[in-house]
Amino acid sequence: MDVEQVDFVSVLTEDIPRAKEFYAGTLGLPIETEGENDLELTLGQVTLDVFNPASVGQAFAPSPAGIAIRVADVAAARAELEAKGVRFDGEIVDTGVCHFAFFKDPDGNTLMLHRRYAPRER
Amino acid sequence: MTVGVERVDYIRVPVKDIGQAKHFYGDLLGLPLNANSPDDDWLEFEAGNVTLAVMTPETHEYEFSPLPPGALALRVADVAEAKAKLEASGVEVNDMWDSGKCRGAGVRDPSGNPILLHRRYAPYPDGSTP
Repeated sequence: MDVEQVDFVSVLTEDIPRAKEFYAGTLGLPIETEGENDLELTLGQVTLDVFNPASVGQAFAPSPAGIAIRVADVAAARAELEAKGVRFDGEIVDTGVCHFAFFKDPDGNTLMLHRRYAPRER
Repeated sequence: MTVGVERVDYIRVPVKDIGQAKHFYGDLLGLPLNANSPDDDWLEFEAGNVTLAVMTPETHEYEFSPLPPGALALRVADVAEAKAKLEASGVEVNDMWDSGKCRGAGVRDPSGNPILLHRRYAPYPDGSTP
């Protein structure tokens, strides 16, 4: 079978207005569509779907995916987010090929700021 | 000042067994394996616009838990056809639904991560189609 692309990646929320404030306000993502229980935002080349599972009787669970969000400079972006009250888990990690830093959205979904600085080997 | 989000570099897909996952994502879904995948416990599969980093949490200092429902929607040309092909390979696929705008059918990878086979057929409000 041929998978063409990722149409959307979802994170669940228990509070749509709070999630909107975080993703649209704090992270600055453009909103694509907006509903009472559902919010779609542009996260670079993919659509981020933020959804309240209680609206369809499903349980909430935070995502451990750790969507790696590319920024120009992890340290600068981290400082920017911390100034807005976002808490990070641990220090910035330098793997030898990239920098990353873990943080969570208000629902506990894992996200990362990420920047590879080494060229690809091949 | 804004954070300056550029794009998604990858999405981690936590798995329990990297061999089973390699078969599922590589052979059954047919996603190309990126030759730059750094290690045996971190396989990068290219899903068109996004890299899926299929990895084992237990070798990366955290515990496995699956992605929540509906976390990842993969676009296919025809959901019914993709469902039939997976079923022919012995994969259990949920019933196909039709929202009025798109069709979908859920499947789980061997570690229990929910994957949605997805296709929007309705045009967007501006008239364009996926």
